[in-house]
Amino acid sequence: MSKDGSSSFFTTKLDAFVNWGRKHSLWPLPFGTSCCGIEMMATLCSDYDMSRFGAEVVRFSPRQSDLLIVAGIINLKMAPILKMVYDQMSDPKFVMSFGACASSGGIFNVYSVLQGIDTLIPVDVYVPGCPPAPEGVIHALLALQRMVAAGETHSQKRLLAAKQA
Amino acid sequence: MLEHIELWQSQVMELKEAFGESILEVRMPRDFPVDVPVIYLEKKHLLEVLRFLKERECRYSFLSDITATDEQEEGLPWRFEVVYQLFSQISKLRIRIKVRVAEGETVPTSVPLWAGANWAEREVYDMFGIVFEGHPDLRRILMDQRWVGHPLRKDYALKGFQIFTDSQSIDPSWLK
Repeated sequence: MSKDGSSSFFTTKLDAFVNWGRKHSLWPLPFGTSCCGIEMMATLCSDYDMSRFGAEVVRFSPRQSDLLIVAGIINLKMAPILKMVYDQMSDPKFVMSFGACASSGGIFNVYSVLQGIDTLIPVDVYVPGCPPAPEGVIHALLALQRMVAAGETHSQKRLLAAKQA
Repeated sequence: MLEHIELWQSQVMELKEAFGESILEVRMPRDFPVDVPVIYLEKKHLLEVLRFLKERECRYSFLSDITATDEQEEGLPWRFEVVYQLFSQISKLRIRIKVRVAEGETVPTSVPLWAGANWAEREVYDMFGIVFEGHPDLRRILMDQRWVGHPLRKDYALKGFQIFTDSQSIDPSWLK
């Protein structure tokens, strides 16, 4: 703390501490719309065991979770629902785009399919694959943890900008 | 399927006797690369033929599906072919009825014959824009109600996205 009572140095350290806690307790919301959802379940189950990284408590309510895992194809009729789920999550929130369909529309470049969820909501990590292997998901989760610890996710940057403004 | 060809032939003969020249063309599995007999009809006798097939002894009483194809081509007098897939639960045979319609032309609804035709016709309307005359509730079934155009038409843009930021609101009358 500085002499005039402002606590800038102290808060940054607290932020780092909070982010450290956050990164080790991500609460995923499984938005599994197709076959990628099966792979996500495999990742959560005992063979690959995402609980090793503190992300095993799957919540089906957006109000209780902070990591939105979009696993599967999002068609245009589903898009407003995804947006609503994302809006209902409380800050800070993180988004993992799971597989080719969620990331870019995949093979479905047609009239009915959203060409990547990043046209709708900000995405922090993309997992390539059709569907991705569980190792890829764990890699993405570790990458997301590094981003959370460094405060580099979209939601954290937005919160920081709002705080500074 | 060729072991059933005699049965099919006798059924088609029966149909030809009853309806004569309103049957435009018949394609049998032996002569054409088709799996079941395909019967091309004139539109005005569609319902009578369907009722005939449903109620006579051949008993094609189960409507598997109604669909359509867009045959858009320069100089062709029609544009769409509406396809009726029928199945007989007695002989376990199938038969296919096709009707050719031009753009803007309507097709009589078959909901009085099969209640299940309701949604199938709505799907055809949604995807191709073919209007079924007399349908009790003809509106889109798959696409958003605000959608413009019919996506399975040949002239619809392949990537013609129409993104809506909210879900469509539900009219209470739809739930009745």
